[in-house]
Amino acid sequence: MQPQRLPTGGRIDRSKPLSFRFDGRKLEGYAGDTLASALLANGVSIVGRSFKLRRPRGIVGSGAEEPNAIMQIGKGAHAQPNLRATQVELYEGLVARTTKGWPGARFDLGAINDIFGKVFSAGFYYKTFMRPKSWWHLYERFIRASAGFGRAPTETDPDHYEHRNAHCDVLIAGGGPAGLSAALAAGRAGARVILADEQDEFGGSLAGAKRNIGDAPADEWLRRTVESLAALDNVTLLPRSTVFGYYDHNFLAIAERCTDHLPEADRAGVRQRLWRVRAKQVVLAQGAFERPLAFCNNDRPGVMLASAVSQYIRRYAVRPGRRAVVFTNNDSAYETAIDLAEAGSSVVIVDSRADGAGSLGERAAKAGISVIAGHIVTDVVGRRRVRGVRVAGWSGNPSYLVESSIHIDCDLVAVSGGWSPAVHLHSHAGGRNAWDTERHCFVPGEAAQANVSAGACNGKWSLRECLREGIESGRAAASRCGFEAPEIDTPSTSEGHYNPLQPLWRVPADAEPERCPKQFLDFQNDTSVADIRLAVREGYRNVEHVKRYTALGFGTDQGKLGNIIGMAVLAECLGKSIPEVGTTTFRPAYTPVAFAVGAGESVGDLYDPVRKTAVHEWHVAAGAPMENVGQWHRPWYFPRDGEDLHAAVARECVAARQSLGIMDASTLGKIDARGRDVVEFLERIYTHNVGKMKIGRCAYGIMLGEDGMVMDDGVMARLGEQRFYLTTTTGGAANVLAWLEAWLQTEWPELEVFLTSLTDHFSTIAMVGPNSRRVLERIGCTIDLDKDSFPFMAVRDAELGGYPVQLFRVSFSGELAFEINIDSGSALEMWKTVMAAGEEFGVTPYGTETMHVLRAEKGFVIVGQDTDGSVTPVDLGMNWLLSKDKDFLGKRSLARPDCLRSDRKQLVGLLSSDNTVLPEGTQLVEAPGAPVPVPMCGHVTSSYMSACLGHPIALALVAGGRARKGETIYAALPGREPLPVTIAAPVFYDPKGERQHV
Amino acid sequence: MLLIECPWCGERAETEFSYGGEAGIARPPDPDVLSDAEWADYLFNRSNPRGAHRELWNHAQGCRRWFGVERDTVTYRIAGSFRLSDGSDNREG
Amino acid sequence: MSRPLDRRHGLEPLLAELSGSRTADPGASVTIRNDLGHINVRGRAADAGFVQSVEQVLGQALPVKPNTVSLDQHEVFWLGPDEWLIVTPAAAAAELAGRLQKATSDTHASVNDISGGQVVLILQGAKCRDLLAKGCTLDLHPGAFAVGDCAQSGIARANVLLALVDEMPTFMIVIRRSFSDYLCRWLTHAGRDEGIAFKDS
Repeated sequence: MQPQRLPTGGRIDRSKPLSFRFDGRKLEGYAGDTLASALLANGVSIVGRSFKLRRPRGIVGSGAEEPNAIMQIGKGAHAQPNLRATQVELYEGLVARTTKGWPGARFDLGAINDIFGKVFSAGFYYKTFMRPKSWWHLYERFIRASAGFGRAPTETDPDHYEHRNAHCDVLIAGGGPAGLSAALAAGRAGARVILADEQDEFGGSLAGAKRNIGDAPADEWLRRTVESLAALDNVTLLPRSTVFGYYDHNFLAIAERCTDHLPEADRAGVRQRLWRVRAKQVVLAQGAFERPLAFCNNDRPGVMLASAVSQYIRRYAVRPGRRAVVFTNNDSAYETAIDLAEAGSSVVIVDSRADGAGSLGERAAKAGISVIAGHIVTDVVGRRRVRGVRVAGWSGNPSYLVESSIHIDCDLVAVSGGWSPAVHLHSHAGGRNAWDTERHCFVPGEAAQANVSAGACNGKWSLRECLREGIESGRAAASRCGFEAPEIDTPSTSEGHYNPLQPLWRVPADAEPERCPKQFLDFQNDTSVADIRLAVREGYRNVEHVKRYTALGFGTDQGKLGNIIGMAVLAECLGKSIPEVGTTTFRPAYTPVAFAVGAGESVGDLYDPVRKTAVHEWHVAAGAPMENVGQWHRPWYFPRDGEDLHAAVARECVAARQSLGIMDASTLGKIDARGRDVVEFLERIYTHNVGKMKIGRCAYGIMLGEDGMVMDDGVMARLGEQRFYLTTTTGGAANVLAWLEAWLQTEWPELEVFLTSLTDHFSTIAMVGPNSRRVLERIGCTIDLDKDSFPFMAVRDAELGGYPVQLFRVSFSGELAFEINIDSGSALEMWKTVMAAGEEFGVTPYGTETMHVLRAEKGFVIVGQDTDGSVTPVDLGMNWLLSKDKDFLGKRSLARPDCLRSDRKQLVGLLSSDNTVLPEGTQLVEAPGAPVPVPMCGHVTSSYMSACLGHPIALALVAGGRARKGETIYAALPGREPLPVTIAAPVFYDPKGERQHV
Repeated sequence: MLLIECPWCGERAETEFSYGGEAGIARPPDPDVLSDAEWADYLFNRSNPRGAHRELWNHAQGCRRWFGVERDTVTYRIAGSFRLSDGSDNREG
Repeated sequence: MSRPLDRRHGLEPLLAELSGSRTADPGASVTIRNDLGHINVRGRAADAGFVQSVEQVLGQALPVKPNTVSLDQHEVFWLGPDEWLIVTPAAAAAELAGRLQKATSDTHASVNDISGGQVVLILQGAKCRDLLAKGCTLDLHPGAFAVGDCAQSGIARANVLLALVDEMPTFMIVIRRSFSDYLCRWLTHAGRDEGIAFKDS
């Protein structure tokens, strides 16, 4: 039973009835319906409550402009909040809930706000909830809970979303008469064309229109045009696709809804797709929005846009009312009156203009429709549904106070305040808009990018002009891309003559706006004419400020209905013209876009690349939890028999210091540097004397930014007279290579140096501990490994167990240690070989945590952990690394006064007075009793329990710390008394460095 | 998203590039002779114009070349790109 | 005695994971090429001696036109105005790198065997352009990216070297080893509507 459904007509499929639920009620519609048309067919008039005042609201529009019918669609994980019912296609089993109003739209406890409506004026929240400040979190909870606006599902989204990059010659936004014509013209010229339209079928205003194009009905022209386009290989048709953003350099984003229109059980594949389009030319053909008029109680359910009423009748065979008043200041609404009359409703036209309409006026008269010209609707009677209107005579004076009015019974008010071109995308692209003084609307001004507006979105209202501009813009766009565009005749259409629109925004009432019932501008935010006037009285002048103060246009509809009349009212208050006041800024997205489609495939495991070393699978099999280090996944520790982190790390540390540990160090950045000038180049980059390095020897090197701060560090090796091997930190690998290339390419192109990344080619296995040499010998090494033949900091090519390797005698632990560089394709095999050969020495794999403890025991820093971009090598106590014989990057900065301060934070060790492992990041203070805020003198950068030493150790940066060894300062710990800590040297273990030299 | 012309690879999406700041900031040949103020000027001060800006970009995901771009800081329009090594300008028209 | 070259590409665990879910009629297939070696060569294109030396060793042209690949005995990719990648059978790579090194030793050049650091994926099938377009911003329309074209760009969040080697179409993707698992997982996910099959060479 659909009481408002017409017996015939429309583009719905009556053979396919669909049942759906709305706020728990079971209702029925047809295939081809939107949720909004189905609700209207069922006579549902209240679809939500307003945001602030909780007034009952009904469906106003038929498309993207709809402010009231905002729904939660679907259940559970598939649910989507805040969809416009006017753009939701009906499907079997659809479940819709209103998102505004609690416990429901029909009975809303918050409606009491309306009684106190005067309190909820512009700036109410700002003024009321400011004091006391500490209560804001309570206020906020209340405001958020009562505001509604749907709920995001808490479950993981089970659907599949994707991105698609596309390139085209001509992108056309909008598939109405202008867009279709443009697509055909550009497509026939051979250009790569994408035509996107937000609706399920192309045609825009033509769908269901009773017009002829050429010698055929509009529907027939539409069918033939879409067929011709579909037959062209170079044209991509995207229905259900909203071009929602126009960005720099003709980059546009389109959200395609692929399966949202299907019953949940029938959905397969991608649910929504984000098209990222780079277009050479863009044709904007998105049409225009009809404007409402601001009369008293113009928000009552049953007050609708005239064009929407026509859409519901023509396209969906739904009659939104039986007794209609059409209130207009222009000709277009006369068509709605005729549609209503043909649908069997009684109609009265109230036209603000004394002369009424042109040709359409004659047609209306023929249809027996009475026209009350020179009159206005001043007020609406009825609360939950329109019951009638008050109508008064008017001579055009905007500040007129109505003295007498008559009552007309009706259940529908169809309003037209004129049309506003959808200039949104033109504005996103950077184009300004110009006020058209004849048509009384903003039209696109000069385009800022390679785009052109055509048809109604360029302020052209007649069908003939839309078709002509579409063809012209399509041909022009194709020819600008180098295609020869054939001439296409504009099909003939019958056009009558139109009487001009009469500017009318706020409709006069029997009192000033402050004293009469509310005249709404923005339905979503309950912004009324009185609010704009209040803002002006309180001193706001700029349109952007008034917008923010009154929330005009701040809803999910971004003021598609109310912005222009709001600005007109503002202009009136300020005594300025509308173009002087100007518009607010249009920003993407044109309509709301689901977060999921923005994320696309980059969710879960694919959120960011996971880089894996060649030994990764072994680590996984050994049960090691992974730690993210940049994009790498590195084993954190290798637990045995239910060990926790601390137990495992203690065991691993002891094993490495007493016998043999093995670590996968493959993530280090590795760079081959060679060329005639490589020494000169590296001298400028590194702080130490690179030229003095002997072939076959390694050195620890640091590089500084030009500001003198430590940027990266690592071991470097001299492999030949003109050949070096550099290592970088794991996280710095890509940046360091780009930085080195930048100097070579931009500053020192005369230097003959080539750099090549070897990070992925080599895997690095570190063998650490007193038994490391013995195990290497057991595996079979082609070089002598004794202390004299292969001393500390030596590097040599060798064969190890039959594999060619680069062998380094370097140590990041202070123990006798070797690093093996091996082709990554053989690294897993080598790792297993070491594990097998080391078995009798209890070879112990260890992860990043043990590596950190071992290096911290030796006071070795990690760039990026113990440094933060504000730390110089002098702060770290690395003066010994700074060559006095040469310039290097950042050297001059070390002599800046700030770098010479004696109270700079310097690297020290810290020992806590009890066995507390200080949390990293702990702030350090001199005097815990000092008045708040307590001056801080440093912070903890690294902190671990040292199993080998039997007590916790920490590294810290402390103001003037190096001269303060033995002094006590305090660690500020949450929830407990400040803990006394003693400043110590940063080397805790084997301070003389004897163990690595054995 | 900008469309940037690499002088070698042609027009590519902004995501392939990394930004290198103002072009033409030469490193002083002998930093030691500079006053602290002069050194600080080299380190920290940039022209930051409203309008045409010559700046460095690196085709990080592509050929790894550093090159120059003249970009309008208001409209983001790019007038052209140029190679650094030979000074030749790839600007069209 | 050196061991025979028997490289792992590192994707073995992923292939094992996917082995249970073979697609009947895949729109795209990925073949992991384990039998190729990679040599990075740097030198100046304007240095005639360098170009001549390299071409002599290779027996084919060094492409100096940006973003092209010379497809002959070896695949020689332009990477930059002074950088190329040579892909050649793995067994011969070390020896070829040695000869290149020797031939260019008296000029400004650099030769590195980087075979252990790269993985080659061969992508074929009717849907492979659609699949690539989901993650790559290049225009891969046949009119814009032809056989013999190559480009370094991104697929999803990984850097790749991409080339069209025939009109089937067959795309060759060269990716750094540590990113290859991510890229293959991304291809599996992105291609699940088109159908995607993986195989080892």
